[in-house]
Amino acid sequence: MNAPLFSPDDPKLTAYALGELDEPERSAVEAQLREDPAARATVEGIRATAKQLEQALATEPMPATSPVRRPAPRRSSKLLQFPRFYYVTATLAAACVAVLVVIRQPEAPEARMKFVEPEPVSVMMSVDTSVAPTATKDAVDLPQFAARTMTAPTVAEGVANEMKKEHTMMQPPAAAVAPPPLRDASTITYGRMVESRGRAEAEYQSGAVAKQRLHKSVALAMRERSEVDLKSNTEAYAYQAESGFMDAAQNPLSTFSIDVDTASYANVRRFLNQGRRPPVDAVRIEELVNYFPYHYAAPAASDRDADGASPLAVAMEVASAPWAPEHRLVRIGLKGREVTMAARPAANLVFLLDVSGSMNQPNKLPLVKESMRLLIGKLRPEDRVAIVTYAGNSGLALPSTAVRQAAEILAAIAELSPGGSTNGAMGIHLAYDVAKANFISGGINRVILCTDGDFNVGVTSQGELTRLIGEKAKSGVFLTVLGFGMGNYKDSMLEQLADKGNGAYGYIDTKREAEKMLVEQVNGTLVTIAKDVKIQVEFNPAKVAGYRLIGYENRRLAKEDFNNDAVDAGEIGAGHTVTALYEIVSAGTQVPVAGAVDELKYQRVQPGTARGAPESASGELLTVKIRYKEPAGEQSLKREYPLNDAGLGFAAASSDYKLAAAVAGFGMILRDSPFKGTTTLADVTAWAQAGLGDDAGGYRSEFVRLVKQAETIQP
Amino acid sequence: MPTDHPTGRETQDNEDATFLERTFMEQQAPLTRYAAKLLNDPDRARDVVQDTFVRLMQQSRAAVAGHTVEWLFTVCRHRALDILRKEGRMKRFEEGEVERVAAEDPRPGRAIEAAETQAAILALIGRLPANQQEVVRLKFQNGFSYKEISRITELSVTNVGFIIHTAVARLRTELAAQRP
Repeated sequence: MNAPLFSPDDPKLTAYALGELDEPERSAVEAQLREDPAARATVEGIRATAKQLEQALATEPMPATSPVRRPAPRRSSKLLQFPRFYYVTATLAAACVAVLVVIRQPEAPEARMKFVEPEPVSVMMSVDTSVAPTATKDAVDLPQFAARTMTAPTVAEGVANEMKKEHTMMQPPAAAVAPPPLRDASTITYGRMVESRGRAEAEYQSGAVAKQRLHKSVALAMRERSEVDLKSNTEAYAYQAESGFMDAAQNPLSTFSIDVDTASYANVRRFLNQGRRPPVDAVRIEELVNYFPYHYAAPAASDRDADGASPLAVAMEVASAPWAPEHRLVRIGLKGREVTMAARPAANLVFLLDVSGSMNQPNKLPLVKESMRLLIGKLRPEDRVAIVTYAGNSGLALPSTAVRQAAEILAAIAELSPGGSTNGAMGIHLAYDVAKANFISGGINRVILCTDGDFNVGVTSQGELTRLIGEKAKSGVFLTVLGFGMGNYKDSMLEQLADKGNGAYGYIDTKREAEKMLVEQVNGTLVTIAKDVKIQVEFNPAKVAGYRLIGYENRRLAKEDFNNDAVDAGEIGAGHTVTALYEIVSAGTQVPVAGAVDELKYQRVQPGTARGAPESASGELLTVKIRYKEPAGEQSLKREYPLNDAGLGFAAASSDYKLAAAVAGFGMILRDSPFKGTTTLADVTAWAQAGLGDDAGGYRSEFVRLVKQAETIQP
Repeated sequence: MPTDHPTGRETQDNEDATFLERTFMEQQAPLTRYAAKLLNDPDRARDVVQDTFVRLMQQSRAAVAGHTVEWLFTVCRHRALDILRKEGRMKRFEEGEVERVAAEDPRPGRAIEAAETQAAILALIGRLPANQQEVVRLKFQNGFSYKEISRITELSVTNVGFIIHTAVARLRTELAAQRP
């Protein structure tokens, strides 16, 4: 008997069994097989297996749903490196910043801070000069969504650092994908983009019938399957570390950029209404707090000093922190000047719409169209609207058209349909070009980007896209980013675009939300009344042992940034409010610090005498300093507002204060914050009900319902 | 949607449209399934597939005649890998990762006794290394020949043969081991 001619491990047998061999090889193998029964059995086995594989693979579902989770997120060890990030929160009108300070009783403040904040600075430059307040009208900004902008010199570093901390949350059985890491921002190649854009435009010009038809087929096919995809989840959220208490003696200054974004609240609401707890990193407490309108007084005409009338008013309040009654909670509220519809400047709006396949879900493109119709209804006849779409190719769906020709605009909206993959960069070029071509000097010039953030195909990495937006922002055209949809919503991506684009960022999950942003608060959304708004709080160590800023984790600035006009900060829109809360530990009380810092080897810091003895002469708790620029201004103005603590209890606080505290408490629970103490959702409900006030718009009652909804969901 | 500017190519366009539409209807689902496996993301897969068809529209029919399907898979694969590369996600497919990250679901191995044979086979395929999975799917799911797979994946024909052989041998052994 012959030895086997084939090893069972010979790939040639497999190839033969699968019919992959050509003559004469096939005949040769066949001849050998006649002599080799073992090999023949192997061939039969392979064929049987192949058949099984074919049958099994044929049953595999068309859109893959196998969950793949990204491995453990990379966390930056530097949780709070202050200078890493400068954002300008561009928002609409009024901002209210509330600071809550919690004070505990006696003990020496020897605890060290968990994070290093800037050393005390004794001298602040106070050079703000003169920017005519009339410039205000020129600026266009969106209120209510917060926009952040990074500062030029440190943008790359800031973004890179931010991305390091990127963290992806998963909802089983869905998979989350973190956004792509940023490349060095310097890799942008403008030339290439221009080239692609040229190509895209050429393609658009030739607008073949075939393409349209194909897109329709695609749309149809997509629609059938879109529901299946709801199961998969690739939403991405950037990791946010929560900051701990700071020692007031060592770090008497706390500096941050305002944030009037509200996207996080709408997104959290969407999760809870679906019966799920939101991922921790989707919860940005300041955005929850800022979602609600507060009744802070608008700047009075009499509120003027050498710099002229202020576009901002500050409303502060202090009482005991409901979740830690031994602490004080300070609310700093900012409110922007109101601008009436008639008084606002003319608008030149360019909608930049994502019409890629991923937008084809009921809560995406159809809601975008609905939102656009709502906004058009709030514009004046001389305002102009253009529509740029981007998918595999970018196109001008509607040239800039006066709103008096509303029929044309509405027809263009009606014709929008999803199709093609996403190429954000080409669309961005085209949109800004259209905006610049129709630039209204002194008017509202704004690109409104509507997307699920899934910029997945095209010439750019995320870093290139954000850099591109940063370039475009220099043209004086502001940006509004509206996020839609769910499932592959790229929160961190959109927030960054808004940061870079002098923009604001909002999330629209329902028609009601669209009405809030685009109808009720349309002037706030469109009209910027102040930009680069920064807040610096100086605590009096004689009164304050430690403090903690609640939220604003990714808005913090170095103390030096406050007076540095090159550092961007947030914009505020007409009539909008911004609220910030500080939890304060009273002087003489132990500050709950997470990790103590080693004793310094070369310096001896006397507790309580660092940088000189506490100035006990002043009875003030703290001083809030606000710095902002007029919308068209380059130099910032500064205003200061001291605060005294009358020692009120929580029960005696205003309803605005109680609601803000309740919302912050809710956020801490959702984030499972170590500072929440024993707070329960029932507590939050009680505080919120005490803070209902007149509840214009019903947002506060909705919050109470949402908290109850959260109670029914297991963490 | 943009208004069209009719051109002299319009008649040609209409003929192409029929061809494109048919190709699309036939190939869109298999392509999406393939891309979804590469990307682990059905949404992105859909976008990639649409982009692939957009590219197909830009080709003259002559250029793809006779190997349209292979052409589609090749382009689709390039697009998908572009994305993975850009996002630095190639490492998602590193050895063992798929099992680790999917661990929240019942382990494939445990489900096997009770599951249908086909589900069991799919589970086994799902545990092959990523390159074997891809080639196995191209061969047994999409019906490409070694040569076509070689052109799509830029592997040599010999290499394709070896990968398929290795995968089939492993699956054969594992399936045999599962039989009672």
